[in-house]
Amino acid sequence: MDATTRFFEEIDRRGYEPRLAKTTGSLRIDLQEGPRTMHWFLKIDHGRIEVSQQNQEADTVVGTSPQLFEEIASGREHGIAAILRGDMTVSGDARLLVQVERIFPGNPDARGPRRRFQQEVR
Amino acid sequence: MASNSTIRILDGNTFVVSEDTGDIEATPSEPTGLFSLDTRFLSRWVLTVNGERLNALSYDDLQYYEARFFLVPGMATHYIDAKLSIIRERTVGGSFREQIIILNHDEKPVDLEIRLDAGSDFADLFQVKDEIVNKKGELYSEAEPDRLRLGYRRGNFVRETSISSSAPARYDREGLAYTIHLEPNEQWETRIEVQTTAVGPGGRDLRIGVQAHGGERPALQHDLERWIAEAPKVNSQHEDLASTYRRSLVDLAALRFSPLSLGGATLPAAGLPWFMTMFGRDSILTCLQTLPFTPALSKTTLRILASLQGTRFDDFRDEDPGRILHEMRYGETAAFEEQPHSPYYGSVDATPLFLILLDEYERWTGDVALVKELEQESRAALRWIDDYADLVGNGYIWYERRNSDTGLENQCWKDSWDSISYSDGRLPPFPRATCEVQGYAYDAKTRAARLAREFWNDPAYADQLEREAEDLKQRFNRDFWVEDGEYFALALDPDGRQCDVLSSNIGHLLWSGIVDHARAEKIAQHLVGPRLFSGWGVRTLAVGEVRYNPIGYHNGTIWPFDNSFIAWGLRRYGFAEEASTIASGILDAATYFDGRLPEAFGGYERELTKFPVEYPTACSPQAWSTGTPLLLLRTMLGLEPHEGHLAVDPRLPVGMGRIEVLDIPGRWGRVDAFARGRMEMHKLVD
Repeated sequence: MDATTRFFEEIDRRGYEPRLAKTTGSLRIDLQEGPRTMHWFLKIDHGRIEVSQQNQEADTVVGTSPQLFEEIASGREHGIAAILRGDMTVSGDARLLVQVERIFPGNPDARGPRRRFQQEVR
Repeated sequence: MASNSTIRILDGNTFVVSEDTGDIEATPSEPTGLFSLDTRFLSRWVLTVNGERLNALSYDDLQYYEARFFLVPGMATHYIDAKLSIIRERTVGGSFREQIIILNHDEKPVDLEIRLDAGSDFADLFQVKDEIVNKKGELYSEAEPDRLRLGYRRGNFVRETSISSSAPARYDREGLAYTIHLEPNEQWETRIEVQTTAVGPGGRDLRIGVQAHGGERPALQHDLERWIAEAPKVNSQHEDLASTYRRSLVDLAALRFSPLSLGGATLPAAGLPWFMTMFGRDSILTCLQTLPFTPALSKTTLRILASLQGTRFDDFRDEDPGRILHEMRYGETAAFEEQPHSPYYGSVDATPLFLILLDEYERWTGDVALVKELEQESRAALRWIDDYADLVGNGYIWYERRNSDTGLENQCWKDSWDSISYSDGRLPPFPRATCEVQGYAYDAKTRAARLAREFWNDPAYADQLEREAEDLKQRFNRDFWVEDGEYFALALDPDGRQCDVLSSNIGHLLWSGIVDHARAEKIAQHLVGPRLFSGWGVRTLAVGEVRYNPIGYHNGTIWPFDNSFIAWGLRRYGFAEEASTIASGILDAATYFDGRLPEAFGGYERELTKFPVEYPTACSPQAWSTGTPLLLLRTMLGLEPHEGHLAVDPRLPVGMGRIEVLDIPGRWGRVDAFARGRMEMHKLVD
């Protein structure tokens, strides 16, 4: 299974994301490749999340390529930098994307802070 | 760096820096130009009449967002007998607008060739700051029948400047031109509109919907008037104080900045020209300074910083879960990850300061809803302090960057490379634990305990936080105390050795309350003693230290904001006299800068220079320097929220006369505060 599908299925399985407890709205991610567009639709209600693949109208619509999103979903690319670069576009309520971006995973190779004389923090 | 003869107008993170003629001729390293979103959109903007450059008779920066230039043909070396006047009037707010008016004073008609050269290098502000402009993308310029488009493209990253004129113009790739005929006493005018766009592949601008106000001149004017009307009024016998206060209020209005993700609400950006963006530390400290006057800024700052709080480990951005950001940027280097500011989290103090601001904000405003709204983020911030900031595992906050290429070495407010040293001048290894941050951690836990007990319904957590704070205070007073000098060390190195220099940081410790009462008097004496106090203010590093230099950025200069927190700390421990000495010195210094305190000025003895020497590359206006007079007012008047009321306990410097602050907003509604200073003895005799 690809990282994108894993990412959304994991969200769907949990059904609740505490970091989005103050967030309500709908966000659609359009992954365009040639004539094909794959959709992921998130309905967020105070942290409760429903995931579907419907092409529904949403408060925020994010557009990018499946390849870039695959990298974002696996933590190897950064969502905000991709927006600044124009590699990912947002229309509608940008605030929602900034909130949802926080639940994208970190880089799997990140070391994180280390304690010098004791055990590692992670 | 922009010299004093440059004219700057700004609105949030869009600003124009030009010569006194209104012209812009930027070199790669010179921060003149039209900037927005951390990108230069115009680097050349030169007006000529019949091929001749113009000479400035005068200029006015009418408001922070507008300026007017009166010009005549010919350079300053010529004898000026002008038969023509040229007026350029410009406004920045969303876009950049310039009106050009030309008047013919001659008895004869004239034929004129008017030309405006326009060009842009689309430099990233970081490239200008570091004097490296090395563009990887492609610049283009397209003359269309009704406008000139200048652009820069690198992959999907596109930034464009579009220039159009109300009077018909001939556009070419390097500017626009007019041929006009003026009868005697006739005038001609045109309005030029410069739009800046950051377009994605969908053709949509990044910034749509982010403006604080309409961006049109009447909207800007109205917004400024409302801002001033809503703030308390300050009247004083000391004339300069009232005008310094007003200058500060207007500059704060100018520095308000609306981040992309906040839908129009504003928080203070850090400073012109380099730091017109969101900074964790600067925004929070500015809010703490200005809370009694403009509390709305604090609410937005807390919300935006909470919404961008770290959630994962990212070594490039020095991000950890719970960490409050250091700096956000929107330019090319951030976009292509050549710089880590998307956002960058390498600040060791923003996280505890966030908690301090939340508590202080509630004490003033009674906005319990925000304290409840931000409970989760506050708890994450407290976890960061204990889990991820304690890099040595001994209960202090430490810093060491994980991004060793472009991350910050020193992640405290004194963030230059050589700011932390031992008394022999050597620099310590990493990680480092600077003293003031331990004070912030103590204060953050003490204040968070109150929030937990009163608003989060968690008395057990409150008890725990108080125990931890008390324990930290005891260890701190043991480990950081420099026995022979009788002050607190600037920092500890990872082996627990003290960076045993005498520095201004000890003043912040008083503000935090971490200093044992028995030691406070000694600290107060140092702060107003000859090694630290210059007569204008407290130096960042004391005279006599190996690295002391009166114009060393963090090794001897005087920072107004630093002094305002030191004065607040002195009052907290009951040293009202010492606090007013510092307030008086800094407010006197402000009069030499027309009420606009710079980021820093030289640490020279007041007796020696007689006037404060501005640090050569200081930013101005700078948010926390702008906030300084406001915090000093609070400190002098002893304004303190107390059981739902505003307590006033004034201790004014000698000669300050009478001060009244009217309509101070807070949980009490609006109240007034009055104070009368002691008279100078010779004036009583007169």
